[in-house]
Amino acid sequence: MNDLFLLFWSVMIFASIAWYGFLLFYVGIKGGREIIVMIKTFDERNAQEKKPEPK
Amino acid sequence: MNLAPIDWIIIVVYLVGCMSAGIYMRRYIRGVDDFAVAGRTMDLNLGIASLAATELGLVTVMYTAQLGYTNGFAGATMGVLMATAMYFVGRTGFVIGPLRRAGVMTIPELFEKRFGVKVRWLAGLFIVMGGVLNMGIFLRLGGEFLVVATGMPVQRLEWVMTALLGMILLYTVLGGMLSVLVTDYIQFIVKGAGIVVTSILVISSLGWSNLVHGLWQCWEGTGGGAGQTLTAHPFNPLHSSNFGWMYILWQLVFQIAVVTTWQTQISRVLSSKDEATAKRMYRRTAFYFVGRFALPGLWGAAAMVYFSQHGGLPAALQGLTANEASLRATPAFLGLLLPTGFIGLLLAAALAAEMSTDSGYLLTWATVMYNDLISPCVKKPLSPAARLFITRALVLAIGLFLLFYGLWYELPGNAFDYLAVTGNIYLASVCTLLVAGLYWRRATSQGAYAALLLGAVGPITFLVVNLLIMKAKRMGAHLPVPPSLMQEWLLNFNQRFPNAQPIHPELAGALSFVLAFLGMLVGSLLSRSPEKRNIPATEVPA
Repeated sequence: MNDLFLLFWSVMIFASIAWYGFLLFYVGIKGGREIIVMIKTFDERNAQEKKPEPK
Repeated sequence: MNLAPIDWIIIVVYLVGCMSAGIYMRRYIRGVDDFAVAGRTMDLNLGIASLAATELGLVTVMYTAQLGYTNGFAGATMGVLMATAMYFVGRTGFVIGPLRRAGVMTIPELFEKRFGVKVRWLAGLFIVMGGVLNMGIFLRLGGEFLVVATGMPVQRLEWVMTALLGMILLYTVLGGMLSVLVTDYIQFIVKGAGIVVTSILVISSLGWSNLVHGLWQCWEGTGGGAGQTLTAHPFNPLHSSNFGWMYILWQLVFQIAVVTTWQTQISRVLSSKDEATAKRMYRRTAFYFVGRFALPGLWGAAAMVYFSQHGGLPAALQGLTANEASLRATPAFLGLLLPTGFIGLLLAAALAAEMSTDSGYLLTWATVMYNDLISPCVKKPLSPAARLFITRALVLAIGLFLLFYGLWYELPGNAFDYLAVTGNIYLASVCTLLVAGLYWRRATSQGAYAALLLGAVGPITFLVVNLLIMKAKRMGAHLPVPPSLMQEWLLNFNQRFPNAQPIHPELAGALSFVLAFLGMLVGSLLSRSPEKRNIPATEVPA
C-alpha cells in the first residue's frame, strides 16, 4: 500500500466530514440571518414603491 | 420500495418547506436585475450556501461516486485541484475582482466593453451551447439515482424526471435568483446533513480499516467474494493505471478556468454585494470542493468493496454495461446500507442536491440567453415586464429541452468526462477571452473570434466522434432490416475504420485550451492594435 497517499486521502476525507459538519451550523445560523436582512431590504423597497409620489 | 413512513415524512417536509420558501420569494421580483442577480444584495454566508449548493448537485454525487467506484480515493483528485484553484482565485481576486467591479450581469456583457457587441453575442452563443449541453444529463442522472436508491422500477425514470423538473421550474420561473438563493440555503443544510450522516454511516458500517484493505485487495485482485476489481490504483492518482500526469495537468488548467469562467459560479460573484465579499466567499468555500469529490467518492469506493465482499453486484445491475453499472452501484449500495429514517434523509438530501443545481443552472443559462443573445438584437428597449417574461419563458424552454435530451442522449463514456468536455466547449475560449481581455492590452476582437472558434473545435470533435464510434461499434458488421440512412452510414464507417478508437478526454480538453490561446495570440498580433474603448481603467485593468 502507498502509505503517503493513503494518509493524504484519509486526512482529506475526515477533514471534509468535519468541515461539512461545521459549515452546517456556522453557515446555517449566519446565512439564515442574512436571508432575514435581505427580505427586510426588499420589504422596505416595496413599501417605498407603494407610497404615492408627492404632487 | 425501501421507504418507511418516517422516510416519507422527512421527504415531504423538505419538499413542502423548500417549495413554499421558493414560491414566497416571487413577491420581491420587480425586474430582470432581481430575477437574475437578486438585486446584488447577496452577503457572504448566503453566498457560500448558494455557491456550495449549486455546485454540488445529484449529478455531482453520481459522477464523483462513479470516480470513487472506478478510481478509489484517488478519484477525488479533481476536488483537491478545484479547491486549490478556488483558494488561489479568492486570495488574489484573479479575474473575479475586475469582473465584479465591472458591474455586469453576465461574462459576455464584459466582452462587449472590451471586444464589441458581436464578440459578446458569439461568446453568449458558445456559453449557452456548452452550458445547456453540459446540463443535459443532470436530470437523467438525478432521476437514475432516485430510482435506484429507492428500488423503484426503471420504467418510472421518465416520471421521476418529469416530477423533479416540474417542482424545480415552479419556483425558479416564479422567483428567479431570489428563490434560488433561499432554496439553496435550505438545500445546503439538508444536503450537508445528509452527506455527513451518510459518510459516517458508510465508514462505521464497513469499518475504515476494512474499507482501505478491501480497496487494496480489489486493486491487487486478492479479494475474496465475487472479486469486483479495480483497474486503477486506489490511492495514487499519478500511477499509470490511474489518471496520470497528463490528465492531472489538464485538470489543473481546467479547474482554474472553471472557477474563473463557469457562469453558474460567476453569477454568485456577480450577485454578491461587493468584490471583497466575492473573494471571501471563494476562499471560504474552497475546501468544500474537496468534500464534493472525496465524500461521494468515499461512498463509491465503499460500494466497490461492499459488492466485492458480498457476492458481486445486485441482480438489477447485472447485464448493464460497465459504465452504467459503475454509475448505479453507489445508489444501489446506499439503498441497501442505510436504515429506516436515514434513507429518507439521504433522499431529501438527494432531492435538495438535484433541485439546487438544476434551478441555479436553468436560471444562469436563461439569463445569458436573454442578456447576451436576445437583448443585443433588439433595437427598441423592451419593457421590464417583457424582459422578465422572456427570461421566464427561456427557463421553461431549457427545462423542457433537458427532459427530452436526458431521455434521448446516451453517455459515451463516464459522466465526469462528458461534463468536463461539454463545459470545455466554452471554458477554454471564454477563459482565454477573459484573461486576455482583462490583463492584455494588445488583445483584439479578431483574436477573440479566433479563440472562440478554435476553443470549441476539440470538445465538439470529441462529442461527435466518440458518439459515432460507440454507435458504430455497437452495431457491428450487420445491418438491421430495413436499415436507416444513419445505420448504413455507420456500417460504412465501420468498414472504413475498423480500428477507430475514441478520443481521450484529456487530449480533446488540452487541445481546446492550446488552440484558444493560440487563436487569441495570433489573431491579436496579426490585427491592428485595439482602439481605446469606452471603459474606465479602474473598472477593467487591461
